[in-house]
Amino acid sequence: MKKSRRNEEAPRQNGSTGRGRAGQRQNDEVQAGPEASRAGLPEESDDNDLGRRREIRSKYRDLINTVQQNREDMLSPATDKLTEVLEEANKLFKDVRRAREAALDAQLLVVATDLGKEKASQLFSEGSAFDPTAFAEHLLSFMGLNRLEDGDDDPQNGGGADGYLPRDAWHRLSRRAECCFRTAPSFHYMMGSFHAEPPAPKQKTERQRKAPSKEAKRIMPTQLKKMEESHQEATEKEVERILGYLKMYYEEDPTSPISYYEFVIDPNSFSRTVENIFHTSFLIRDGLARMYLDGDKLPCIAPVEEGDIEAASSSSRKQCIISISLKTWKELIDTFEIKDSIIQPPESQNE
Amino acid sequence: MTHRKRSFGSQSFSQNRRQSSSSGTQEDHEDSMFTQPSTSQVLRGLENLTPAQVDQKTSEVIQYLLVKDQKKIPVRRADLVKHVVKDYRNVYPEIMKRAARTFEQVFGLKLVEIDSKHHTYILINNLEAADRPPPVQCPANPKLGLLFVILGVTFMKGGVVRENVIWNTLKKLRVDSGEKHEEFGDVKRLVTEEFVRQRYLEYVRIPHTEPMEHEFRWGQRADMEVSKAKILEFMGQLHEQDPQSWTQQFREAQSSSSSQR
Repeated sequence: MKKSRRNEEAPRQNGSTGRGRAGQRQNDEVQAGPEASRAGLPEESDDNDLGRRREIRSKYRDLINTVQQNREDMLSPATDKLTEVLEEANKLFKDVRRAREAALDAQLLVVATDLGKEKASQLFSEGSAFDPTAFAEHLLSFMGLNRLEDGDDDPQNGGGADGYLPRDAWHRLSRRAECCFRTAPSFHYMMGSFHAEPPAPKQKTERQRKAPSKEAKRIMPTQLKKMEESHQEATEKEVERILGYLKMYYEEDPTSPISYYEFVIDPNSFSRTVENIFHTSFLIRDGLARMYLDGDKLPCIAPVEEGDIEAASSSSRKQCIISISLKTWKELIDTFEIKDSIIQPPESQNE
Repeated sequence: MTHRKRSFGSQSFSQNRRQSSSSGTQEDHEDSMFTQPSTSQVLRGLENLTPAQVDQKTSEVIQYLLVKDQKKIPVRRADLVKHVVKDYRNVYPEIMKRAARTFEQVFGLKLVEIDSKHHTYILINNLEAADRPPPVQCPANPKLGLLFVILGVTFMKGGVVRENVIWNTLKKLRVDSGEKHEEFGDVKRLVTEEFVRQRYLEYVRIPHTEPMEHEFRWGQRADMEVSKAKILEFMGQLHEQDPQSWTQQFREAQSSSSSQR
């Protein structure tokens, strides 16, 4: 069947499809493009034909790869590689009969033309050339690059033996480049904008003297009236529960200090973290736990021994306010690599 | 997107929708609902409003534009009309005219429509930068330096440049698009998203490239805001060359500064 179809083919001609089936494209048949003129070819057997076609396609793909992989090489005005590829393609095209190979030829043409266009744009022949590499070198000098003579010193901004850029390198450049821009200065209200969020919860963890603490205790009953019964009990329960966690954690290893942040932070919920801080502050206020700074000046927390509770209440107390923001919370999680919360969330809490 | 059936304030626009001259864009539903009122309509609209009302509305527009300019993202006419102008849309051209005048005379800024198809506006400085350093210097924004590098290379390379050229140049300046930079953070995002959104750059895909590649061009804001002549001057200083030695760029800089007036 294939053979008979081929018999019907008119010898290839330049120009458009002048065949009886005007413009209708059958499966695999296509007219050659206007580039190549050729006489009618001798008949070939099916197998040879397929093999030959496969070879052609493979060669085309090689050419396309060559152009794509060796882009930099071919762009250089010193080589004629692009011309060689095109000549190679021309030779290949003489044997192209079917759409599939022609499509590959077209693809190669696209890739080659693209490269050609870029080569042409390199020929900014009038006037001086502009070399981005030289430009970068000049900029580095302008920005105050410190070219070290020996690579002894620690490279700071990734310079190594090439020297390091000072911290204000980009500021220096920006200052000079400012005059090229006619940027409208940004408009900001002088007093800043109104921040609509409520202030972050401030927790007073310890009282300095007994008197203020009495005041606090006096305040508590008034708050009680405002709050529902269940609220107050829930807080007490929470505080006790947290004390339990603290003691349990502490007993596991009494010698190693418990980092305060690791204790209170719940990496899964910012709101629970804040609640933990709130409840922990009651422990401290009541003298059931103590906070101190360890050798690295990081806050740590530990339960107070049974016998010490009375003594602690009479000694001088310090007071501090802890605040935490969403951003700080995230930073703490990253810094301390907190994966789970020590204080498990209560089951009864609905999200 | 539910504004379709709404009737606008005192003027009914049903008969005017036919004469849409400037609202060629259909992408923006809200904007296509807004047809630029004709001069006679504006005059009629002004008759129904007191001067104080128009002034008040103008001030609101000015404040809106000033605050929106903080991020340097262009303002769309559709947003302006929807959020600020609202019922005064029938005198929109008059309001914009007054706003532009106030910007110029009070703030020394210029209100520019950078996209006449989508009607987006930016604010640029109407005043020329002084030759001497200003008496009060606010800290320079380092992003400006980065932008200068990209715009500079693009300009010197004829206005279009393949992205690799930019990434390689930046790498030589210790700015690696693949790594987090101390000063700029995610450089790729800054360059291909923020600068593009601000219209300093255009980051366009090159067809038929596998793997996908893009090229950089000057954005509409850069065309208005950045002086090619000054860039060339700085280039000359850096390379210790006469700016005129780059003849094509020099010519381009001359013609561009005349078009920026």
